[in-house]
Amino acid sequence: MKNSNNKNSIRKEIYVTAVLFGILFMAMIVYLARFLIVDSKTFIYNSYNSRFSVFADDITRGDIYTADNVTIATTSKDEEGNEVRVYPDDRLFSHAVGYVGHGMAGLEASYSFDLLTSHIYLKDQINNSLTGQKSMGDSLYTTFDYDTQKAAYEGLGMFDGAVIAIEPKTGKIVAMVSKPDYNPNTIDKYWDDINDEEKSDSALLNRATNGAYPPGSTFKIVTTLAYLRDGNSASDFSYKCSGKINLDDYTIHCSGHKSHGQEDLLKAFSNSCNSAYAYMGTNIDRDSFISTSEDLLFNKPLPTLLKGTKASKLTIDNSTKESIVAQTAIGQGRTTVSPLHMCMLVSAIANGGELMEPYLVDRIISADDKIVSQTEPVSYGTIMSAEEVSLLQEYMEAVVMDGTADSVDFGDLNVYGKTGTAEYTENKKITHSWFVGFASDDKGNKLAVAVIMEGAGYGSKYAAPLAAKVFNAYYK
Amino acid sequence: MVSVITSFSRITILSYILIFTIIDLALIFEPKLNDVVAGILTTIQSVMVVLFLCNGAAVLYFSKGDSNIILYTAFQLVFFIALAIVLNKLFIPASPALTNNILLLLSFGFITIERLNLDKSVKQLIYAIVSLFITTIVILIIREISDISRFLFVFAIIGALSLIAITLAGNIEYGARLSFNILGIRIQPSELVKLSFIFFLAGCIVKYRDFKGYLFSTIGALVHVLILVHSKDLGTALIFMATFVFLTFIAYKNYILLALEIGLGLIGGIVAYNTFPHIRTRFIAWSDPLSVVDDKGYQISQSLFAIGTGSWFGSGLNKGMPTKIPVVTNDFIFAAISEEMGAIVAICLILIYMCTSICFFNVAFKCHNSFYMLVVSGIAVDFSLQTILNIGGVIKFIPSTGVTLPFISYGGSSLLSMFLAFFIAQCSDGLWRPMKGSRKYHEE
Repeated sequence: MKNSNNKNSIRKEIYVTAVLFGILFMAMIVYLARFLIVDSKTFIYNSYNSRFSVFADDITRGDIYTADNVTIATTSKDEEGNEVRVYPDDRLFSHAVGYVGHGMAGLEASYSFDLLTSHIYLKDQINNSLTGQKSMGDSLYTTFDYDTQKAAYEGLGMFDGAVIAIEPKTGKIVAMVSKPDYNPNTIDKYWDDINDEEKSDSALLNRATNGAYPPGSTFKIVTTLAYLRDGNSASDFSYKCSGKINLDDYTIHCSGHKSHGQEDLLKAFSNSCNSAYAYMGTNIDRDSFISTSEDLLFNKPLPTLLKGTKASKLTIDNSTKESIVAQTAIGQGRTTVSPLHMCMLVSAIANGGELMEPYLVDRIISADDKIVSQTEPVSYGTIMSAEEVSLLQEYMEAVVMDGTADSVDFGDLNVYGKTGTAEYTENKKITHSWFVGFASDDKGNKLAVAVIMEGAGYGSKYAAPLAAKVFNAYYK
Repeated sequence: MVSVITSFSRITILSYILIFTIIDLALIFEPKLNDVVAGILTTIQSVMVVLFLCNGAAVLYFSKGDSNIILYTAFQLVFFIALAIVLNKLFIPASPALTNNILLLLSFGFITIERLNLDKSVKQLIYAIVSLFITTIVILIIREISDISRFLFVFAIIGALSLIAITLAGNIEYGARLSFNILGIRIQPSELVKLSFIFFLAGCIVKYRDFKGYLFSTIGALVHVLILVHSKDLGTALIFMATFVFLTFIAYKNYILLALEIGLGLIGGIVAYNTFPHIRTRFIAWSDPLSVVDDKGYQISQSLFAIGTGSWFGSGLNKGMPTKIPVVTNDFIFAAISEEMGAIVAICLILIYMCTSICFFNVAFKCHNSFYMLVVSGIAVDFSLQTILNIGGVIKFIPSTGVTLPFISYGGSSLLSMFLAFFIAQCSDGLWRPMKGSRKYHEE
């Protein structure tokens, strides 16, 4: 009987052990459920996931529409009855919508799972599956405005470059164009040609979100904020421009070797005076410069619902040569930005300092018109103070009224902007043409725009007039 | 038509598994059920097992169009009946619910391997039959040995020697030495050494008691674990360590010791992390598989693609792409189940494993003999931990350790070891044979 007592006294620890393992089992169930609810989409959307092709056996890929209800991607049948993906506007939305064929890109890639999921009534789905018919996948309603996209596309013309337009209040991307482009309808046929290494124009790259451009003078927005956040006030600034400034063994010239004379901060900004900004840049504490630029989204992933955007880069530290810092301050040097990033900064200025995260899909609708999901605007937070915003708005207005862009006809709109002319090779004659800015109509509806035209020349001559066309199309 | 059967079966299979799981939970957590009700519920469970197996096989038959599947299914059903008869002949099983759970797990294995690879499913059936045969003989032998605990050092020496043999001459697989090839059959001795190790530990504890027993079992455990670490089979080393830790905890009831041992285990883990590059690799693949998706994170990423894309209700049998996952029939079979039968079934499966684990612990709790109580406790720990390591690795709950999923994964050694464990547990009350004239460790 002694042993029996021994056994009884052991009992409890068996249960303690069992409970410990039970907790681990339950934790795994919670983890698995959490994975499916929260994390699984990251995995499903990954381009290494080859399981999409299985869905296409039962579901017809859904359509994609603009916000004003124009079909920009649909599925129809060829003569042999095979499904083909059709893009009615050929190249107009090439990077924005992407393609299906040789892999996927754009919205076709990031929303593939939704396009190949059907939310029609289960009864109809079962009915379809019984009769061997495919069910219709869900459709995307994008944030694009057809006419604005078209104005941007046609305005860019033969130039390479990018245009992106964002509604500052919500973060909706209204237009997004990148050139060189491709025709998504024939991408399969011309795949080898598009990817020809000798051409190396990377037509598949969406320059609006993934371009890495020198920002040129549009960067002076960042430098101005860095100067203010380094403990200076706008009224402190004064500089006498002689058309050039010497730093180390390097000379920075003002555009057209023009000498601007005595300037305050507003004049330096609206004249886009390189000498003044080079001087200003070298007087900003470098740690403070870096931290301001990082508050303005440099060197980190952009806060946006878009997938795979490129982070902008700014590299200076305490060992950087003064001449490089001066070049950084005027948007040259080693800094690179994407048009999307510049547009987001301007959008925050337009929206009182609050940055709304840009997005492309407004809602997903089932084939029987039920709303499957609706995107709510997401605020990233306030990246500029009210004083900074009002100052920048004043400066950007001056650029348009009597600064570098005063020759551009923006019609009746109130426009706030900054031009840029960015050198990108040793040859200083060939420059990218930049314009970033926003417009407001008399009802207070705003639109932020970033335009870059590669190798076009002065920002005021090419990019700003294109921005005017985009604004006009949007407010028409 | 095939599509209709598959879609429809998604719902029916889900129902069978749900019913089975609910009964499982009721039987475990509602001890006041009277015998008649419990008997009815157990019978319903058995019916669900058969329905599940047949329905799964029907879907595979229609979608693959291979009539051999019908034949295999017939054999599998006969095998189940044989298993139940043998078990009842050997001894009145300690837990009828446990038997149902094991049969369902085996059905999951049969169906999923049949889905993934028909050749392997034939082999798996043969392994199961051979395992049942060997297990029966082993049980008959054990039953005749009086006071088996006195052979504890024999168990330790056989175990350690087999492990040393793999270290010296085993095949290297995935960076670890795991197996031998004997007459063309791949044998993984560590699966069986798990059992001899449990017998050794239980023997040590009941023979020597107190400090001496603890000392001997510690030395024995260290020898086993170090050899396994040397052959880089760290998943198994972890299982051995945990078996030792919990068995001594159950025997010596010392919570401080338990905490100390777990602490030492953690330190050992950190040392191992810093010593073995292939552990670090697995950690990286675990913490952010997509960053190394085309290399070290490929397998776990494929597994998560499968589970994620299959979603709650699954793609339907034979409609997913589980074969994209490397070694899916062995270590990652859980992902294949989740992809095609859905995550709800997968979660039920985890619950069924949990219930099975509790069944094993219950059998240990009710066992009348100290030695077998410890043996069955060891089996319960081993079974639970192996399941958690496998499923946890597949769903990215923990880094993958390369252990098999009990009763489901393809492979003869693991199946045999699990059959032995299951039969020993079910017959545990009838296995003990005291020395003639001695009542020392006998029941009351």
